[in-house]
Amino acid sequence: MPDADQAREEVSEFQKQIGALREEIGRVIVGNREVIDGVLSCMLGSSHALLEGVPGLGKTMLVRTLAGVLGLEFSRIQFTPDLMPADIIGTVVLDEAVAGGRTLEFRRGPIFANIVLADEVNRATPKTQSALLEAMQEHRVTVGRTTHTIQEPYFVLATQNPLEMEGTYPLPEAQLDRFFFKLEVPFPSRDELHAIIDRTTTEQHTEVRRVLTREQILSMQALVRRVPVARHVQDYAIRVLQATHPNGEEAPELVKRFVRTGASPRGAQAMLLGAKVRALFDGRFAASIDDVKATALAALRHRVLLSFEGEAEGVASDRVIAEILKKLPASKE
Amino acid sequence: MLHVVRVLNLSRMASSDGIGQLRRAAERAGRRASFAAVFSRSMLLLPLPLGYAVFALTLVKAFRLGQVGQRNLLLLGVLPVLVLLLGVARVLLAKRPAWRGSLALDEFHGFHDRVTSALTFSQVPEPERSPMMQAAIEDGVAVARSLDPRRAVPVRIPPEAGLVAVLALGLYGLSTLEVRHYRQLPPPASFEPMQMSADDIELFRDVAKELQAKNDDPNALVAVRRFNQLVEDIAEHRLDRHEVFQRMGDLERDLKDNVDLDQDARDEGLKGLARELEKSGLTKPAAAALDEKRLADAEKALRELAEKLKKKEGRPNAAELEKLRQALEKASRSNEERLKNIADRRRELEDEHKSLLKKKGEQPDAGANTDPKLADNERRLERLDREKSRAEHGQKQMSELDQQLAQAARDLMKDSQQSAQDLEQGAQDINRMAKQEASEEQKKELLKKLQEMRELMRQQGKGGKDQMQRLAKFGQRARGHGGQGQGQGQGEDQAGGQKPNGPLRLGSGPGSVTVEIPVAQSRPGEGPPQAGDKPGSGQEQGAGPGAGSGHNKDLAGAATDLKGKTHDVTAAGADTGQGAASSQVIFGAAERGFVGRGYKQVFTDYQTVAEQALSKDEIPSGYRFYVRRYFQLIRPRD
Repeated sequence: MPDADQAREEVSEFQKQIGALREEIGRVIVGNREVIDGVLSCMLGSSHALLEGVPGLGKTMLVRTLAGVLGLEFSRIQFTPDLMPADIIGTVVLDEAVAGGRTLEFRRGPIFANIVLADEVNRATPKTQSALLEAMQEHRVTVGRTTHTIQEPYFVLATQNPLEMEGTYPLPEAQLDRFFFKLEVPFPSRDELHAIIDRTTTEQHTEVRRVLTREQILSMQALVRRVPVARHVQDYAIRVLQATHPNGEEAPELVKRFVRTGASPRGAQAMLLGAKVRALFDGRFAASIDDVKATALAALRHRVLLSFEGEAEGVASDRVIAEILKKLPASKE
Repeated sequence: MLHVVRVLNLSRMASSDGIGQLRRAAERAGRRASFAAVFSRSMLLLPLPLGYAVFALTLVKAFRLGQVGQRNLLLLGVLPVLVLLLGVARVLLAKRPAWRGSLALDEFHGFHDRVTSALTFSQVPEPERSPMMQAAIEDGVAVARSLDPRRAVPVRIPPEAGLVAVLALGLYGLSTLEVRHYRQLPPPASFEPMQMSADDIELFRDVAKELQAKNDDPNALVAVRRFNQLVEDIAEHRLDRHEVFQRMGDLERDLKDNVDLDQDARDEGLKGLARELEKSGLTKPAAAALDEKRLADAEKALRELAEKLKKKEGRPNAAELEKLRQALEKASRSNEERLKNIADRRRELEDEHKSLLKKKGEQPDAGANTDPKLADNERRLERLDREKSRAEHGQKQMSELDQQLAQAARDLMKDSQQSAQDLEQGAQDINRMAKQEASEEQKKELLKKLQEMRELMRQQGKGGKDQMQRLAKFGQRARGHGGQGQGQGQGEDQAGGQKPNGPLRLGSGPGSVTVEIPVAQSRPGEGPPQAGDKPGSGQEQGAGPGAGSGHNKDLAGAATDLKGKTHDVTAAGADTGQGAASSQVIFGAAERGFVGRGYKQVFTDYQTVAEQALSKDEIPSGYRFYVRRYFQLIRPRD
């Protein structure tokens, strides 16, 4: 029984920390609560996020603020077509020591930060993209014969602009799959715009304070993994995942017609981890179907690949997923 | 430490109690969900049988379907009912989704699966539960009290319920609705009393009277009274044709039940008795009487013999008595011996039959010879069987007399007084048989009259009004009023081809009873062909005063030459002046009545001859009725 109390205390502490985190970010970022929660979910789920939105919506600001609040090492990489893998990973240089003698030294690239902002990731060549994505997956980088481990927590936030597609290299499906969530940054509302303008066009300058330590973040990540998921919730997540496949048993008509390939098992993992984080956000001890539903869009939208017909009809993957969530009953015999 | 343990136990108990509460609430919600599903499916499918019932009931009421149609509709109605039952059964038997009740509770209360997760984690063995699981269970238990399965799973009335209600109301309305059908009913049967001419009624009344006078047997008298009542009811027009025939049939049946129709068997028994008794001189008179069926004489002869035996003087000698004894003994056994003879002959025939059958089986080729023999043999056997049956019947009827005669034979050598008494008892038995025979004769007579009456009515009703007319004409002719044929018409009513103004009147003359017989109405000028007073010129037989001048084309040869050379011879009687004067003769005849005993005698003679001819089948069956009817019509009337 004391274990349960301890768990209760941990969850309570988690809530407090998240509350503080939200509050601090909110001092800089106006609105975008869902995007912030999504980014935090990705971070607490020990994974990475892909932010998509038109320029000027505060994507970079959000990541920068997050890094400041968390007190973690932050680096920003502006992806361009001429960006080389070595530019982000780092390179081995011949170092001339003061005392004399030369040694080969590995100079770490920007990828070796705790929080990496890969701005406009789709503008780099696939070679560079894959270098980043390998690091994202493995949390380590191999240069020559040496493997360099990236310090935890490691959190990559990539952004891409959905409008300027010319001269870009869209991320292949396999690489998209490595992103935990794909978050769409919406255009701010009128009130939010007022607030943004007030904050950015005056002398007012907000300095964020550090709210969490690295250890606390790791502890929170560990707590997320300890949140139990009841069988019916897990079953629901799996059924949602299966329903994204055109040949899935419970796939709705829209999926059968417009989807080329459904989500990979990483989609279910993302849904459930996201659900766990959301349960903790709410101060609950177990994930629920509602949590799965809430995270399904972010977790699956970049994993559901539309068919040519779907693309031609202008069917958004969000619509497909929403249809699945609408049609799929909570439980099945 | 102890305190901590106690707190832990209490907490566990509370937790398990809370889980139980959660489970019960979830189960209740699940049951409600099942019921709601069944209810919903029932409402969805109920319009099918209800609609069919409305349709079927409409058909039944509107078209007045018969039993077969209703049965077919009922059989067809099994289909929608089956669909309903199968649909409901499918929902009932369907595998329920796990945690359906608890999920419904979570969804309704917005508990984010707290209840379901708590129930799921409670199934994990306690040692294997993580702290988070335990915390989740306690979190679920904490909300157990606020669960409301009734509101969480409401049993909603589906939209189809409206249709069901409408159909049910329609069905009720239809069932109470009385659909009136206008049916062309046949006109009520009018009572048409049986018509019988007054002459015939008089005839049957006379018959009844005669039978009543002759008979003293109570059974026969009852039958006669019933017959008389029937005649009176017909005379009063109280019965229609159907009732008359029914009553005649009842009476006839009762009479046949009472009459011993196998009288021949008894006569043969008496003849056998007579043959044996004839062998003794003492019983010869009785034998002769028995042989001639004079039972009263036979009784008398036996009584006289008994008296003779009683007297001491003039008693028969021993040889005579021995002969009498033998005759009586043999007479008493005559029926028995007859039966025995029949049995012997039958046995012989049976043996012969068997041998013929065997022969036929052994020699199939000999079939042509044996078959007629076999057939003859079978016929003889059948005849013997009939004879045997009759002999048995006769023996049964004669059994008492036989016993008396046998007793008399036994007593004769011992005690003549006792033997005389036995003979007297035998005489009494003959008397009884005589009475019985007389009664049966009367019943037979009544039966015969009933049959005649039935035949008369049958004939009257057979050909409708035409037949009635024909019979009326026949009656006129029989009584000497008609006979004119078509050449002379049928009297004043139809003379000149005018429309008859009333029914045809039949009667035997002035003062007699007239019977009205309806005739077909004919239009003026369309009457039957008349010839007035002209000599008959038609092709049918006429009776006009002159000779006919026409010729029947169907007859071969030339027409009759009326200028034949004939001589009229007139023979005049010579008045000798002897005998009574003409006035005296007429007066005497008038005193006695013109139709007197002379005519009665003539009628009886002729009728007897006619009956004999009828009984010998000399008259074709189609004419029998007319022969009898003729004699009925010309019978002498008082």
